[in-house]
Amino acid sequence: MSLTKVYDAPTVFRHLNGIMNIYKPAGMKVKHVKNAVLHNIAKDLNEMKVREPRKLHTPLLEPGGDANPLLRKINSIDLADHILATGPRYQISDIRCALVAGLGIHTSGVLLFGINKGINQSQQVQRNRPVRAYHVTGRLGMATETHFPDARITVRADYRHVHPDRVSALAASMQASHQRKMYELCGVDLQSQAAYEIACKGLLRPADNTQPVIYGIKLIDFQRPDFTLEIHAINECEEYLASLINEVGIELRTVAHCTSIRCIRHGHYGVETSLLRHGWNLRGVVKNMREQRQVLQKHPHLINQDKIELRND
Amino acid sequence: MIILRNLRFITKVTKTDANIPNYLPKNIRSLRNQTRQRVESLTTKEEHTDHVEKLAQPTRTEQRVNTVLRKHCLCNKSPTLQKFLQLGVDLHSIERRKGLAKFTLGLDFEKDVQPYLYFLQDQGVPAESFGELITKNPLIFKIDLDDLQTRVNYLESKKFTAVQRQRIFTYNPFWLMFSTHRIDKRLGHFQKEFHLNGDDVRFLASKQPRLITYNMDHIRKASFCIREEMGFDKDEIKCLLLSKPRLWMINSDELIERFAYAHQTMGLSHDLLIQFPEVLTSREFRLRQRHEFLATLGRAQYDPEKDLYTSPKDLVSGNDYHFVRNVAKSDLETYELFLKTR
Repeated sequence: MSLTKVYDAPTVFRHLNGIMNIYKPAGMKVKHVKNAVLHNIAKDLNEMKVREPRKLHTPLLEPGGDANPLLRKINSIDLADHILATGPRYQISDIRCALVAGLGIHTSGVLLFGINKGINQSQQVQRNRPVRAYHVTGRLGMATETHFPDARITVRADYRHVHPDRVSALAASMQASHQRKMYELCGVDLQSQAAYEIACKGLLRPADNTQPVIYGIKLIDFQRPDFTLEIHAINECEEYLASLINEVGIELRTVAHCTSIRCIRHGHYGVETSLLRHGWNLRGVVKNMREQRQVLQKHPHLINQDKIELRND
Repeated sequence: MIILRNLRFITKVTKTDANIPNYLPKNIRSLRNQTRQRVESLTTKEEHTDHVEKLAQPTRTEQRVNTVLRKHCLCNKSPTLQKFLQLGVDLHSIERRKGLAKFTLGLDFEKDVQPYLYFLQDQGVPAESFGELITKNPLIFKIDLDDLQTRVNYLESKKFTAVQRQRIFTYNPFWLMFSTHRIDKRLGHFQKEFHLNGDDVRFLASKQPRLITYNMDHIRKASFCIREEMGFDKDEIKCLLLSKPRLWMINSDELIERFAYAHQTMGLSHDLLIQFPEVLTSREFRLRQRHEFLATLGRAQYDPEKDLYTSPKDLVSGNDYHFVRNVAKSDLETYELFLKTR
């Protein structure tokens, strides 16, 4: 199918459906990100060729001139529909936009929005609870009130005794205990045959939609005093991840707080194709939605789940 | 049964649109009903040859009944509003603000509006900016023309040149709303506070006329912020004021954050900041992103005497593409990969 250049705004608006993958910067609220993107989209739509003002339904009559003395109709525009009288043709409230799953203020990374007709798809994706992968960086030696660097420091401790193999061993044991908890959360009595059959299949989604479950923790970087963990989880929030870092510090007989959280994957939507700030305009959003459509085509199980366990593909 | 059928017949014929609220006067309700029905008939009966136009239905906000519909009926009938549309006045934003819609409807173009437009033209205000002026300040038509003349004479007496006066009236629609006494007090305040002489005051007023009529609390807070919290002395403040008056109009919390980043993390001294005040007018995230990118490349050198110097002005000017290619001498993919690691 050949690509054609589109200059008129109604066509673009009609085709502005789907899921968009935005890279949320750290320190910015999700509300502000959404407003910024929608504001830019509306501004760009208004700059394209928009609908002309309507014609007056009672056409005026004017004399035809010397050559033709008959009265003739002139279709003059309805001034009430002029852009300056009604305001810009596209406003933020015209675009329907729903968040798939939120990120905290300190988290950066993949943030998915469903636009117009893509809201259905986005809600189904979220209902099937995709697994999110994070890179969480922590710093040893200090603990703060909210486990984030902007809060007041509560405890200081020495961390010279911490080594990377200790940390990875701790991460592995935390992963095992979380996976054990996952079986308890699957909603079936642990002593039954059904539980055994479910356990044979592998890692499962929890029955409860609010309880955070961690499927994997791995140490990927250790430069004392900083360390980075890769965490795969469902139903988590940024406070939970930050308190995890705090617990890691306590288990290592020191203290730690969380310096940065980055969401690198949301289901099959990765951070490689997410839209950075300089692309938060109509052109970038349309291109992004076209790329994200392929993700859904390759992995239809994001919308229609057919197995209860987590898949590898 | 008969009664029910009659009811249905009655309700079908006199179908009142539920969206039009009942508290509006009867004539407006009937007018709105008229336009609504006519829009529907337009789309069902007529054959639209233009495919785009047929499918370009009014968007949801337009279909929702808002006070704009009142203008809908009156735009076609009032000559004042039509002349305003020709000038480029944004009626939509005027209507949003309370009370202004009624006021503008009551204006007569020949009697009320034209004398003021001639007056402004005599002062040198170009005709293209009339639309913007009226949009921002329609209440200027309430002030007596003699008062306006007095205020202009005051500026002339204070030796403001014609070019300066033209700039003031074009860029600050609200200047003429302030009485001579108030303007005098404000100009005096700026002169005393920042130790400016006559020429400086005139330069400041023409460079950024909005600053003179800005909220005094805000200006006092910004001055405190720049003097005490940032630690600039009197001469430096005067220099900053005359080169970038906009700093006094920015939210002081944001200003402090940017200054903290520029001074502590980037290491820019007070002298450098006075030389390049643009650094303080750009948003903090942009400073942070670009400085950290340059730091990873090893080019974050702001001392002109050492190697690999990048001017702080280049740091904040231009869009990302321009910055990455010319200042950081790298490519956009590297910059994107870097941004995604933050």
